[in-house]
Amino acid sequence: MNNITNNEERFMGLTHGQVFVYTLMTVISILFLFVTNAYLFRMNFEDWRSVPVPSLLWVNTGSLILASVGMAWTTNGAKKSDLQTIKVGLAIGGLFAVIFVSGQIWAWQQLTTSGFFIAANPANTFFYLITALHALHVLGGIAAWFYVTLKTFKQDASILQPESIGLLGTYWHYMLLVWVMLFGLLLTT
Amino acid sequence: MYEGQALYHPKGWWGRYVFSQDHKVIALQYICVALAIGLTGMFLSLLMRMQLGFPGLFESIDAGNYYQDVTMHGMIMVIYLLTALFLGGFGNYLIPLMLGSRDMAFPFVNMLSFWVYFLSVIILVCSFFVESGPTGAGWTLYPPQSILPGTPGADGAGILLMLGSLAVFIIAFTMGGLNYITTVLQSRAKGMNMMRMPLIIWCLFLATFLGLLAFPALLVGAIMLIFDRVLETSFFMPEIFKGGEVLNYGGGSPVLFQHLFWFFGHPEVYIIALPAFGIISELISCHARKNIFGYNMMVWALIAIAGIAFIVWAHHMYVAGMNPYLGFFFATTTLIIAIPTAIKVYNWVITLWNANIRMTVPMLYCLAFLITFLIGGLTGLFLGNVAVDVPLSDTYFVVGHFHMVMAVSPVLALYGGLYHWYPSVTGRMLDDRLGKIHFWITFVGTYLIYFPMHYIGFLGVPRRYYSNEQYDFIPESVNDLNQFITVCALIVGAAQFILLYNFIVSAVRGKEAGSNPWGACTLEWQTLESPPGHGNWGDKLPVVYRWPYDYGLPGATDDFVPQNIPDEQIT
Repeated sequence: MNNITNNEERFMGLTHGQVFVYTLMTVISILFLFVTNAYLFRMNFEDWRSVPVPSLLWVNTGSLILASVGMAWTTNGAKKSDLQTIKVGLAIGGLFAVIFVSGQIWAWQQLTTSGFFIAANPANTFFYLITALHALHVLGGIAAWFYVTLKTFKQDASILQPESIGLLGTYWHYMLLVWVMLFGLLLTT
Repeated sequence: MYEGQALYHPKGWWGRYVFSQDHKVIALQYICVALAIGLTGMFLSLLMRMQLGFPGLFESIDAGNYYQDVTMHGMIMVIYLLTALFLGGFGNYLIPLMLGSRDMAFPFVNMLSFWVYFLSVIILVCSFFVESGPTGAGWTLYPPQSILPGTPGADGAGILLMLGSLAVFIIAFTMGGLNYITTVLQSRAKGMNMMRMPLIIWCLFLATFLGLLAFPALLVGAIMLIFDRVLETSFFMPEIFKGGEVLNYGGGSPVLFQHLFWFFGHPEVYIIALPAFGIISELISCHARKNIFGYNMMVWALIAIAGIAFIVWAHHMYVAGMNPYLGFFFATTTLIIAIPTAIKVYNWVITLWNANIRMTVPMLYCLAFLITFLIGGLTGLFLGNVAVDVPLSDTYFVVGHFHMVMAVSPVLALYGGLYHWYPSVTGRMLDDRLGKIHFWITFVGTYLIYFPMHYIGFLGVPRRYYSNEQYDFIPESVNDLNQFITVCALIVGAAQFILLYNFIVSAVRGKEAGSNPWGACTLEWQTLESPPGHGNWGDKLPVVYRWPYDYGLPGATDDFVPQNIPDEQIT
């Protein structure tokens, strides 16, 4: 059988998946860096009126933290080939990520109800843009989570791929980190 | 799916030729789609030239669709032709083969990358058929003009389709780019350390990095512009009065969009230029039968170019209103990037010095590239300086400059590359006589097109005017020159069909190429089968023992030693 990775040079001992996901996270970081730059640039104009950040975002942040904890649990289970732990961790990680996205949508509704429409002020627009972009990336993670979860529930622990689960966990923690920074930006400006 | 993954084997015709995961098939798909949309872009440029050379001859060309032609020509050539062809086409074909790998690291994602690119092209083409027509905002899509009624394509879906197409293209590029980075870092044959990689792989690798880090700026700009157009937000839109009434916009900054656009736009120049540099490095060494001069220096020069490319963007914005100190900074960085670029040019010239030069068609293209890139670079020194740029800004001098440096030069490298690697893809040689006819018409013709533009620019002729008549400051002679340029453009345009004919006919009737017709050292010519089959290397991956430019090695039987030949087998 022809093997793609047979007899090849490696970069710093990393796997294919690690290089792929780390590079992807770099690209996503750059994307949010540009959005943040634009935000900081635009907020200096006199028409800027800061948005009162809905308190629901604290709850959503808590959900994302729990999602991250769940994925850490899964990663731990994968290292020990403990199928039960993996399943529970995946369920927690996925469920709270979905709660997070739903919570963000709810927060948008709260803002709209309070009269903070998207086009009313640039601060409002940025709020919706930043949170939507982040939620989209979380949704991308949920798509990957769905794939890994489906495989996990179909297979037994002996043929599980800890690398996929580990990378999914890394992406979850990364999404949390990005959110904490964005949330900090929204709170402090 | 990564470690120990088995090579994907296609099932049936659709799997083999349409939804293929084989990097070589995907490369050909990229090349075909890019060339097809590129021909459309060329046709649009000929329509523009007809209007400029013979105003009023075609009644169907009015000011509105002239600007649509200009916009679509620019965007198609830069993004959908050159970026896609260099990275999607050459990148896909060469990276696994030259590194001694069986395929890209993630073949399925690679396939998706092509189809998403194809979707972006379809969306772009759709804009020709919507009621408003495509956007006519100019390829830079500057707001507020690009989304305000009155600009072609702004009233209807034209501008939205353009922005949507760009967003989809960026997704495709990211999928392809992540694959290239992973493959270069992870899937090199044993012995192929980073400093044994062919220079074109370095160039594709760095161009991919540039793209991955620069395209997000365009994506953010495009998304925000869509918001401004659809939701009437004011990221970029200042307060605007129309017919005495204030529009729903206010307070936004058009300059913010310019920063985002050019933070992508300038690295984009190098996303195109670096693969061209790589092709030239490979071709010059092989067709001059001499090892490339200063390999390490070349690699570091490339890394320096890639790094500095991110801190020169605002030299496109000198007239946008800028603090003079900022202008000074960007002028300085712009001139500094000339240093690593000059290192590369010197090294190519020194490689040619005392070499056994074979005047093959690829070598002709190399020599033409060297001269053209030098000229384009020198006029860049004019425009990089604020004091000289301000009077020349938005004149035909700029059009002449950027066409020499990022249109003609890369296309010359591209053609050289196509002639060089065509035998690897098809197993047959392109017709040499047709190749030389195509070369001379293209090379001389493009100079006849773009040299006069520099002169017209010095006369102060603005670049975006639909018609040059009725302006006192534009002398009559400009119209004569425009007619001359248009005739040359038509001839050069027609000459491209020689290449197309050569491509098609030679694939069937061309001379058999054999496994390594140019006597090259790099791995893509050392496969068991020629053209290389699925999986590239049969049962065993190659092992690399040397760098890729061992030409004229003393004591060797041939004047080249392939990378996979150990020392004991040389003599």
